[in-house]
Amino acid sequence: MKVEKEALLKTAEEMKNKGFSYLVKITAVDNISSLVVLYFLRNLNTGEEETLEVELSPVDASVPSIMHIYKAADWYERELKEMFGIEITGRSAPRLLLEKWNGIEPPLRKNFEWGKPYKAMD
Amino acid sequence: MGQALQGDGLTTKINVGPIHPSTHGVLRLVVELDGDEIVNVEPHIGFLHRGVEKLMETRNYMQDLPYVEKLDYVAPEAYSEAYISAVESALGVEVKERAQYLRVVLLELQRIASHLLWLGTFLNDLGHFFTVFMWAFADRDKILRLLQEHAGARMFYVNMRLGGLNRDVPPGFEEEVLSVLGDIEKRIPMYESYLEKNEIFMERTKGIGAISSHRAIELGVTGPVLRASGVNFDIRSSKSYYVYDKLNFKPQVVSSGDVFARYKVRMLEMKESIRLVREAIRHMPPGDAVGMPIRLIIPAPKNKEVRVYRETPRGELLIYMVAGQQGPYRVSFRSPSFINLAALPEIAKGAHYADLFAILGSLDLVIPDVDR
Amino acid sequence: MTTEFENAEKEMSRLVEASLKKYGLKPNVLFARLSDITKAASSGLITWSRKNSVWPSLFGLACCAMELMDFGSARIDAERGSYLLFRATPRQSDVMIVAGWVTKSIIPEIKRMYEQMMKPRYVVAYGECATSGGPWFESYNIIRGIDQVLPVDVYVAGCPPKPENLFAALLKLQKKIGGNIEG
Repeated sequence: MKVEKEALLKTAEEMKNKGFSYLVKITAVDNISSLVVLYFLRNLNTGEEETLEVELSPVDASVPSIMHIYKAADWYERELKEMFGIEITGRSAPRLLLEKWNGIEPPLRKNFEWGKPYKAMD
Repeated sequence: MGQALQGDGLTTKINVGPIHPSTHGVLRLVVELDGDEIVNVEPHIGFLHRGVEKLMETRNYMQDLPYVEKLDYVAPEAYSEAYISAVESALGVEVKERAQYLRVVLLELQRIASHLLWLGTFLNDLGHFFTVFMWAFADRDKILRLLQEHAGARMFYVNMRLGGLNRDVPPGFEEEVLSVLGDIEKRIPMYESYLEKNEIFMERTKGIGAISSHRAIELGVTGPVLRASGVNFDIRSSKSYYVYDKLNFKPQVVSSGDVFARYKVRMLEMKESIRLVREAIRHMPPGDAVGMPIRLIIPAPKNKEVRVYRETPRGELLIYMVAGQQGPYRVSFRSPSFINLAALPEIAKGAHYADLFAILGSLDLVIPDVDR
Repeated sequence: MTTEFENAEKEMSRLVEASLKKYGLKPNVLFARLSDITKAASSGLITWSRKNSVWPSLFGLACCAMELMDFGSARIDAERGSYLLFRATPRQSDVMIVAGWVTKSIIPEIKRMYEQMMKPRYVVAYGECATSGGPWFESYNIIRGIDQVLPVDVYVAGCPPKPENLFAALLKLQKKIGGNIEG
């Protein structure tokens, strides 16, 4: 279901109260005009699945953190920040997954330039 | 046994460096200790990141198949089968019936081989020097030789094609499979009695790193770790694929949730896989099992967004693919080792330092899958 | 007295020449003192012992590490070829077998491990990823071959190379260390 960015936290709480207590994955797709963040949720008792889609603009993308609702969202949000450059608000700054990755633009965006050297080791 | 230092509040940080004699891969743990009790564990990953998801966008569907196999090198058949299923769903190709049974046979053989490797390296981590490792690898080698007969390679079998396999099994394959399974079935009780009557093994695994079922669901763990905490969830029975429902598959669940329960779940899964392979061979219909050969020009994809759920030996794999014309536009893997490793700090809190490696070994991590 | 001395010297030089020929050293070397004889004989002895006991260090990074484990296990046995005891610490090993792809984040650790090994030390690049970058040739985080960082002695091709290939590569390394291999 499509969710606006402002209604994300409320929808996530509702889902958790309805029984969708297992977070499967948080991922994102870069369609060049917009950036779509997907949350896959599952209800372990009935086996139902639900997907929340949040559409963001590619410039200054940011999404609130759902870590206090689903504990498993911690590392997935770190990966979002690193690979897509999406800022996560409402939690302490996520530690980067690849340690010495500073100074490079996010790789999984479509405007990533191959073959450009970057300063990673010093 | 052993009390933490009281009242000081000062902790020591120990670095378990990226290169260490365990065989998971390259993982760095910064362990914060208060005396002998673990206060916090911070895993640092990223030493094996190659950008697989980005590289796969630049190639076409068939060229991506070897990339997917190198994600999890302990059970590559499971990942390559999941990827081919995703492409088949995108293009709208049906799998032939004999090929479905054959895929189940190959997948379950791969599961037995993967659990045997886990057994050997887990006991190495506990400090048992290479005895069970040698036994388990001798058994695993028999299975690898079987898979080599069909696919031609020991480790990276690129033998899945759209709608089936690359070729049918050679004559005499079924008898060899049954004889190898008979050998392994005689050895599993030997492993169990050797380990479960050993006081040191029981003390090092019972009661260590226990999590309740509610906590396991909260942390999002998957696979044998989830089933060892009493949660009855297995993709092969909830979202059944191929012929698992015809073969009466039952998930194996243990309820204690500690390291011993995870070991027990994997031994039970090995026995269940042996039974599944025997049933599949008995019910396999004659016919054609060969899929489409590799072509560079393929029809346009029918479904744009595809989701495939599979049960690999480590846990649940989800491949979410946005299909492009010649190759994937975006592929996203939800690897089971990623989320199991993220749950490690919570599981290991409060344990002794020596128990950290028992817990780490019981989670069955493969680090290149964590940072693809 | 002098003739006994001369006879003994002739006998000794004849014995020395015979043993030099046996160990493959050139026989037209002038020996003036006993220390020179022991040094020449022992350098052959030292080379022989180094060549026949090459201990690898565990440096499996990725998929090729599975084949390294198979190389040490029961079916293809490393111990029967004198590549005993995979050592976890680099200070006690001779050969570093680099198995798996090398990323930019792990280069300082590799360099530190290489410097901790004692001379003479050798490096074997096992697999395509360590030789040239492998299938991840165009990735943004991969070094194209370990020979951009360390001096490599033997390359082994394959993805992954079968353990028998590693046997052949280590035999080549033994030839490189010390000359002829018996058997």
